[in-house]
Amino acid sequence: MLDPRSKLPHILFALHAVLATLCVVGPGYKWWGSSATPFVLGLPFSLVWAIGWLISVFISLLLYERWTRYCEDARGQ
Amino acid sequence: MRVGSDATLIWGMSADAWIVSGISVLYLLGCLWVGMRGGKDASDSAVGYVAGDRAMGPLLMYFVIGATVFSAFSFLATPGLAYTSGAAVFYVIGYGLVGFIPFYFLGPRAARLGRERGYITQAEMVAGECGHRPMAGTMALVSALSFVPYLALQMKGAGLVVERLTEGHVPQWLGGAVCYAVVLAYVLKSGVMGVGWTNVFQGVLMMGLAWAFGLWLPWKLYGGVGPMFERIYEVKPELLSAPGTKSWQWFISAGVISMIGFSCWPHLFMKAFSARDERTLRRTVVFYPTFMVFLVPIFLIGFAGVLFPTPPPSPEQVLPHMLMSLDLPAVVVGLFCAGALAAGMSTGDAIVHASASILVRDGWITALGRRMTSTEERRWVRVLVVVLMVLSYALAVTYEGDLVSLLLYAYGPIAQFLPGKLIALCGRRRDGVAVHVAMLVGVATCVVLKAFPQWSPFGLHEGLVGLALNVFVLALLAVARRGRPASAQA
Repeated sequence: MLDPRSKLPHILFALHAVLATLCVVGPGYKWWGSSATPFVLGLPFSLVWAIGWLISVFISLLLYERWTRYCEDARGQ
Repeated sequence: MRVGSDATLIWGMSADAWIVSGISVLYLLGCLWVGMRGGKDASDSAVGYVAGDRAMGPLLMYFVIGATVFSAFSFLATPGLAYTSGAAVFYVIGYGLVGFIPFYFLGPRAARLGRERGYITQAEMVAGECGHRPMAGTMALVSALSFVPYLALQMKGAGLVVERLTEGHVPQWLGGAVCYAVVLAYVLKSGVMGVGWTNVFQGVLMMGLAWAFGLWLPWKLYGGVGPMFERIYEVKPELLSAPGTKSWQWFISAGVISMIGFSCWPHLFMKAFSARDERTLRRTVVFYPTFMVFLVPIFLIGFAGVLFPTPPPSPEQVLPHMLMSLDLPAVVVGLFCAGALAAGMSTGDAIVHASASILVRDGWITALGRRMTSTEERRWVRVLVVVLMVLSYALAVTYEGDLVSLLLYAYGPIAQFLPGKLIALCGRRRDGVAVHVAMLVGVATCVVLKAFPQWSPFGLHEGLVGLALNVFVLALLAVARRGRPASAQA
């Protein structure tokens, strides 16, 4: 595990959040996610793009929350 | 079950209409039971009634936030947008997903301040931390004015669903009145804990039904989700590429302002003061995207209507229209009715509880400086719950215009709270007067641009223009008033 004082997880989480924002409500959707094709599991790509980001944000939040708890526990010891 | 089918009438209603009404009544009784029991462990104080004694656990927080976000608007208007504008509807996932991330950081900070200084509302915290109490009055007024049409929309949605699915036997005014009489009873009795536990019940019901209908309708009409999208791609391919039939300007502008407004909604933010601890709040944010998945079947329902043989009377009625046109058992229609009512009521109860609490706590106590005991405060919140409910009901039954437009209009003024909230929670030097003036400029800009949309630069949403001016005025005043002592220091 990283040192609890490490800034790397915070930076990675912030970068991911900014990227997600650009890709779901910003121009990233237009540039990379707007097409109807290819169909993935029967769904149009434009919908898969949004669902993909949903999963990605969920995983990043899950990891970041574990990191936050790890830091809090380390500080408490 | 078909509209106008020749069926034997029992007391003027067909057997199917009785079954639909019966399931709806069972659902309402279930809500009443859960809601009345919900607040039995809360204290008699204002903190108990408004913030649940700051003791909500992870399960309750998850459903309170999730079910509050998904309203009658989500259940009826979202499929309507998918039906008319196709992939434009995907902006809803976008703003909901990233609009809640700031709560991961701001929520625990607010909760800590709430415990230390007794805050139970967003405006009280912003005004208190910026050292400028009149600001709480402005925020209370803007919130209440935004909430009344929002609540009226939920009532109208509930009434519409009941009227349509009982084949017009239960008029809209009566359906809305009965549903909200139940809400009134449990909000008055149990406060936020009644809202919380009914949201668990309503959340499970509407998620289950959304998935059931979202998968079943494409299967019934097209043979599956994949074949449905292939057929739409052959006939109307433009609906499957973002931003559907809308422009990119609309898609991005609506997404950004909704994202900001969403993170500032007072009834959502004040739940930070209800959580048991900071970890509970963080976990609520972490698991919130799993609630967003509930939007996918809602989209599928809207897309299922695109090639439906007969058009609905209005886009918002695409789901009830399909259900009433297919020869479905009355039990299925009744279950849908219960799900749609759950969506409307789970948002309406949180709104009415929050707006009454905000008006008393922020408007009366914080801004006007009126002193009252905890018992008096609780009593006045209850009185205002009734007053706001009556006002919203009057608007719902008399207003014939487009309530959805009124709701979208509300996002602009609410988004003007953002700079003040950030300064209150993260700022080092806090000039309450500057924050208040900038907020007023932002809100006034929203109102003026809504009246004269042609003045809006590049056709941007009035909330974004207001926010830009808000920040500009704030920066200007910060420079101009640099020499003066700050109204509050971090």
